[in-house]
Amino acid sequence: TRLAEGTPRRSIQLSSIVEQRVFNDDDIINTPKRSKARKSIALPVVDNVKTTEDDEEYTPKKTTQKTPSKGRRSTTKATEAPATPKTPSQKLKMIRSGEIKPTLEKRDSLAGSEKGKTDLQIARERLHVSVVPKSLPCREKEFDNIYTFLEGKIQDQCGGCMYVSGVPGTGKTATVTGVIRMLQQRVAEDDLPPFDFLEINGMRLTEPRQAYVHIYRQLTGKTVSWEHAHALLEKRFTTPAPRRVTTVLLVDELDILCNRRQDVVYNLLDWPTKSAARLVVVTIANTMDLPERLLMGKVTSRLGLTRLTFQPYTHKQLQEIVTGRLQGSEAFKGDAVQLVARKVAAVSGDARRALDICRRATEIADAAASKAAEKGSKDTQQCVNMLHVQQALNEMISSAKVQAIKNCSRLEQIFLQAVVAEVTRTGVEETSFMGVYTQIETIAAFMGAATPTPGRALRICAKLGSERLLICEHSRNDVFQKILLNVSMDDIHYALKVNNTN
Amino acid sequence: MPDDSEEILKTRKFLKERLQTDYSTFRGHENERDNIRQLLQRTAEMGESNSMLLIGPRGSGKTTLVNAVLTDLMKNKDFIQNTLIVHLNGNLHTDDRLALKSVTVQMQLENATDGKVFGSFSENLAFLLACLKAGNKRSKSVVFILDEFDLFCAHHNQTLLYNLFDVSQSAQAPICVLGVTCRLDVIELLEKRVKSRFSHRQVFIFPNAEDFDEYVKLFAELLTIPSEKQLKELADRVGTLKHLQSSELTFHRSHFQPSKYKFSKKYMEAWNKHIAELIKTPSVVKSLQALFDFDVSQAFLKIFIFRLVCQMQTSLSIAEQITAEQITQLTAIYEMDEKVELLCGLSVLELCLIIAIKHHSEIYDRDPFNFEIIFSRFHKFAKVSSTMQGIERPVALKAFEHLRNMEIILPLTATTCKVQKEFEMHKMVLTYGQINQAVQRYQALPTEVQQWSQSSLI
Repeated sequence: TRLAEGTPRRSIQLSSIVEQRVFNDDDIINTPKRSKARKSIALPVVDNVKTTEDDEEYTPKKTTQKTPSKGRRSTTKATEAPATPKTPSQKLKMIRSGEIKPTLEKRDSLAGSEKGKTDLQIARERLHVSVVPKSLPCREKEFDNIYTFLEGKIQDQCGGCMYVSGVPGTGKTATVTGVIRMLQQRVAEDDLPPFDFLEINGMRLTEPRQAYVHIYRQLTGKTVSWEHAHALLEKRFTTPAPRRVTTVLLVDELDILCNRRQDVVYNLLDWPTKSAARLVVVTIANTMDLPERLLMGKVTSRLGLTRLTFQPYTHKQLQEIVTGRLQGSEAFKGDAVQLVARKVAAVSGDARRALDICRRATEIADAAASKAAEKGSKDTQQCVNMLHVQQALNEMISSAKVQAIKNCSRLEQIFLQAVVAEVTRTGVEETSFMGVYTQIETIAAFMGAATPTPGRALRICAKLGSERLLICEHSRNDVFQKILLNVSMDDIHYALKVNNTN
Repeated sequence: MPDDSEEILKTRKFLKERLQTDYSTFRGHENERDNIRQLLQRTAEMGESNSMLLIGPRGSGKTTLVNAVLTDLMKNKDFIQNTLIVHLNGNLHTDDRLALKSVTVQMQLENATDGKVFGSFSENLAFLLACLKAGNKRSKSVVFILDEFDLFCAHHNQTLLYNLFDVSQSAQAPICVLGVTCRLDVIELLEKRVKSRFSHRQVFIFPNAEDFDEYVKLFAELLTIPSEKQLKELADRVGTLKHLQSSELTFHRSHFQPSKYKFSKKYMEAWNKHIAELIKTPSVVKSLQALFDFDVSQAFLKIFIFRLVCQMQTSLSIAEQITAEQITQLTAIYEMDEKVELLCGLSVLELCLIIAIKHHSEIYDRDPFNFEIIFSRFHKFAKVSSTMQGIERPVALKAFEHLRNMEIILPLTATTCKVQKEFEMHKMVLTYGQINQAVQRYQALPTEVQQWSQSSLI
């Protein structure tokens, strides 16, 4: 795996250009500092120049500077261990070379212990989306499909591609990583030739070309510019080398990697075709017809026809997933889980959504149980029933537009009614403020309310617009601005009618 | 009464400061408040990862609610020690690059020193994600507060949101993403994969529009002086804010300090009695009803009360401080039409032009007009009038341009094409009612003009 390490880092030509640039631009600043800091290190000076220029176009230069400065450093301060970086630029250098491990602050006290947890708390923890089970329920067929594909490719020592698609939350990434884990286990048991596993995610990149940097970093731990990384990867995958192991590359969110030129996708899918590469690429995206719709012909051709689609979960499957997570716990009533499964399956079939709703239901049940305990009633059974689930569903699926209209002030409600009246009068969806204002005058006179001045009506309009009950233009257009209703007319009638009868 | 005047000065200062800088007192909405507090608490104590959206109209107290919850949690030692608070604002952090730098600084990651972040955008993102990935239940919880959440949805690819929500749904460092926005349909702005990762907890905060009595009570509460005991409780609560260590959240720095104020009991009682009597006056109730009809939010009421408190004078006694007349007058100012005021400040010539525009609009049903049309209409009137004779064309043109600069008339197209300015088409942004009002209220308007404004026939 360390083959790429020994490659020459940069061409002499580039570095000499950079040297020139540095010395020309910062001659005045550089020289005194250099003489002053001669004894310690000249690094900070060079790095100051680097850090002021974050632009992508200078990245090759940044790397090229490393050689001379490194060399100087090793001659003057060869014995000093790079354990404690002094300046930020030194630190940055160590981060780039992978010497500093990224860490987060540790907490002072331990998070809640395992004991002393109630049934509901345990259930809530198990229901968290992040707790991926060892084997995904209801995805056995897809698992086998990917498993046989990857196993075959690894055993045959050849390259290949696969395209996995499906709507979000249907277990694509979890299944693929599950397969990889299984394969790695078999490698550990010497059942299978060893392989490298790399993983990139389109959404974690700032731009498609950063994919090279991420792949290279996972191979060697070093961060280099994308041009450099591209060159090194090209070299690695195109030149045959003895004892090269198979590399499995998982590309998540493939559609983000597609730019107009599609050079990144092309490269990622072209390397497997090289006999020297032994690269297996598994690509994941949401849309089923992405290769035909978005990718160029040559890229689609390279992607091949090995495809797999993850169907949205049905309500039975969702129920199985949730009960699988709850295994043994008595926290949920059976029909409560079924209600969640049926409601979610009808909307999206997203497993995350079902798990989140269940988690919210446990919270509601928790609050209800503690409330009951406060009252001193003996009925403090900790169980999620239908009512809790119903409340959670209401919170997480319903929209609050009717509620918003009910809680508008009186003049705001009149304004909304006026928009409705104007839409009915003209028959066109789009109304202008002028017409609405005439309606306001009428309605206000009818209701016996004070008519707001046009200036105040504009303020009301802007407020409703910021809430998105209306869609309106900038109030610069004053009385000529166009107003669209963003809620249905029935919602307004319903909210105001029910309001009035109460 | 010199003794009283000092107290009144103090009261004014106290009331003003409480109205403006009391960032952490939130009234009502107990359920929502508990919901958010428990969420943050669980994130801090149990290391759960969560995400939530706080939605409500402008001025409904969303930020105050978040501040209040944070203040509540400041009593909790566990929370202070085990969480980092990262505050981002969609208006300040206009793209992911800026937001990411701010996150790096606030989390005090390795590649940040003294508020300066090193490395390029992609390096920052990679490093932040690596840090979060390296974390587990034993690392500190991070609470992300995203103000103006809807603006983050406009960022390229929604990279930041995707990554934050993704971390909250995978076994990494425990984080809590709390978005605050005023748009009701914010979820529709999310990309489908971001939407799937969001946990769909939404908390709605709506100001209470049903209960007018509550509004009057709030009005009184904002004006009364709290008792010594209440002041002490408040001071204790504000005191805990010193534990809040965040470079971006700044509300605790200039927070209202109740401990600075002390009122004599006699004075306090007299003042509160005065306020209690005030809200029983019918004219006050009527004024408040007018405000309530327009805007039910607390923020609006607070601004109104601030203007009221500004009128307090030390030379007067308590009973003359905040009177029903003042409230009525102030409400009248709120209900005034600014455009009419503007029209009353115009010269007679400019008003004549507006009347000419009005006649044109009435006849041709709001057709656009240019200077020539209006001038000829005005000229017809000027010829027969005794006061407007002899006004030259350039003078009228200047008046016309003045109207345009005041944006009483707007050009039809935003781009200035090659049309001469006399021929450029315009539209008028006034209602006829406003013009009629202005003509009636105009001081010393020649009778001829007034008559002409009634009818376009000369």
